[in-house]
Amino acid sequence: MSDSGNVRQFEGGSKYVLDPDLKQIVNVSIALEMPLLLKGEPGTGKTMLAYAIAESLKMPLIVLNVKSSMKLIDALYQYDTLTRLNDSRFGDSSRDVSNIEDYIRMGKIGQAFVSDERVVLLIDEIDKADTDFQDDMLDILEQMQFDIIEIDKTIKAKHRPVIIITSNAKKDLSDPFLGRCNFHHIAFPDREMMREIIHVHFPDIENRLAEICIDTFYKLRDLPGIEKKPATRELINWIRALKMDPGFHAKSLEKGQVPYLGVLFKKSADYAVALARTARARRI
Amino acid sequence: MFVEFFYQLKEAGIPVSPTSFLRLQKALSMGLIRNLDDFYTTARAILVKSERYFDLYDRIFAHYFEGADLPDPEGADLTEAAKLLLEEWLKRPEWVAEALGLKKEDLKKYTPEELVKYFMERLKEQTGQHHGGHKWIGTGGTSPVGHSGYHPGGMRVGGRSRNKSAIKVAMERRYRDYSTDGHLTQAQMGEALKRLRRLIPVGPKDQVNVDKTIYETMRNAGEIEIVFDRSLKDKLKVILMIDNGGWSMDPYIPVVQLLFNHARYQFKDLKTYFFHNTIYDQVWEDPTRYHKPMKVEDFTRMDPEARLIIVGDASMANWELMTPGGVIYFNEYNRIPSIDRLRFLAQTFRHSVWLNPKFEEEWRFTRSIGIIRQIFPMFELTLEGLEKAVAYLKGK
Repeated sequence: MSDSGNVRQFEGGSKYVLDPDLKQIVNVSIALEMPLLLKGEPGTGKTMLAYAIAESLKMPLIVLNVKSSMKLIDALYQYDTLTRLNDSRFGDSSRDVSNIEDYIRMGKIGQAFVSDERVVLLIDEIDKADTDFQDDMLDILEQMQFDIIEIDKTIKAKHRPVIIITSNAKKDLSDPFLGRCNFHHIAFPDREMMREIIHVHFPDIENRLAEICIDTFYKLRDLPGIEKKPATRELINWIRALKMDPGFHAKSLEKGQVPYLGVLFKKSADYAVALARTARARRI
Repeated sequence: MFVEFFYQLKEAGIPVSPTSFLRLQKALSMGLIRNLDDFYTTARAILVKSERYFDLYDRIFAHYFEGADLPDPEGADLTEAAKLLLEEWLKRPEWVAEALGLKKEDLKKYTPEELVKYFMERLKEQTGQHHGGHKWIGTGGTSPVGHSGYHPGGMRVGGRSRNKSAIKVAMERRYRDYSTDGHLTQAQMGEALKRLRRLIPVGPKDQVNVDKTIYETMRNAGEIEIVFDRSLKDKLKVILMIDNGGWSMDPYIPVVQLLFNHARYQFKDLKTYFFHNTIYDQVWEDPTRYHKPMKVEDFTRMDPEARLIIVGDASMANWELMTPGGVIYFNEYNRIPSIDRLRFLAQTFRHSVWLNPKFEEEWRFTRSIGIIRQIFPMFELTLEGLEKAVAYLKGK
């Protein structure tokens, strides 16, 4: 079913700075054929990791974005009754109305199973769904098969996909769920790591500018009373904004001015707090 | 291999399972682990399923592989125990006196800090006492047992007399962060709250009703007639206000916790606010009632169709409710009496109820309950009361 014997090693993506711990964990999970559950605060690159794995292993990526109202069956397959009804009436399609299978459409998990090559399946924000969804899904991912009741057919995975599951830890996941995956918590990158990340995204950035930006960024993150702290994504966008601005000089950051605060703080309350703080810093 | 390591993790309280241990063995036998660093990360990913245990894992790993001393985990616990002790001391002086082997009268001589210090020293020299100490501290905090208000140091303490009144609370505000506490299982409360989730057809007509379509198509002699239904949307917005302060709510906190934990995921849009005793100029979004105040006037901006549910015992002195300046904290002053604030809320939200954790028989003994009942329909915080409240909220 799978080619676990000669797994290619995941080495990190072109825009993804991989820490060695995580690399080992990813490779072990691939080899053990276990889903890898990633937790961590938003912006620590949980989702990006799946993209990086897909890129590095040259596998297609299938993303299942979990929604709170989602039923497991939606992720598996969909029986398109409406099209069938329509075809039966007008009969001008190439599909065979008496063959229900023509009207079965695969959901994201289904697609990952029937794919001719091994894929990376990213199940994003699993914590949004309810516990039943989570447990049932892992059952299916463990058995690597599910039934389509309408046509009484079992879909078996041709290749066991590399499964990455992310959670923002809004809810605690159930024990049976946790028991079936490997777990890693991605901590917020430290300065060292952030420096590398910045250089990957902005290869030509001046060291001094990068330092000041990172410095300011961590200071802003530490402001008290902030609800949504700016994450890596915000920092990258912010630096991008700074670089676009021809009137911007690194010196102004040193003086305590912080332009484009809105790029870093997305909530109006946070923005107001940050604005007040930076304004005060300027006066001193 | 590493069986002992596995058991050390288990003994330390990390929920490790044999299955995952076997999985680790598999990883070892597959040659995936080449050095100790690999083992460290791999074993953690496979065995430990929550970042909460990462620190503990690190300590045990260091102990097992480097022979490092297991750090004394009691350090942190003791401070926590001390805090609890202080709370307990303020509530039940004679219990503490007994536990510390002091006379009740002697307690008066100590300041809270001294007492905590004394307690910590006792804990350190006598480990036997430690366990017992934890036990009674842990269980006492939310005990529903009534108790007379009494405090040897002269500070105000939760009086548990029938008519609960607090004269200016001269203590630092305590709080209980309901949401972090307890993994409650499905209980009756959730069932009752579920009934609040009223499904109202408001979405676009975009769902095919297969049964009706078939029926209509047959009626049409095979001409396809597709029948659409409105997709259902859960439109219910709920504003929950919880009285989480003060000693008078203490016995009911477990009950409120239960309700709160369930409420969190029951609705599409749930906003929770906290207040103490009764509502004055503002309520707070955080359980500490400090960081995020929200002015009562601002509630006019919210959807008037939202359901307002207030949870509180509604027990207070009349002046706290009826007069300006009734707020029981020194550093606050309210210009508008609380009663008007409550009326204002009741007018703003057509659908509002007050849930009272006290039993209905007791209501007539407390005057403030009678007054508030005239403003908000009041129901018991029991399954039955909830059902009535829900029926009331739906009925309009």
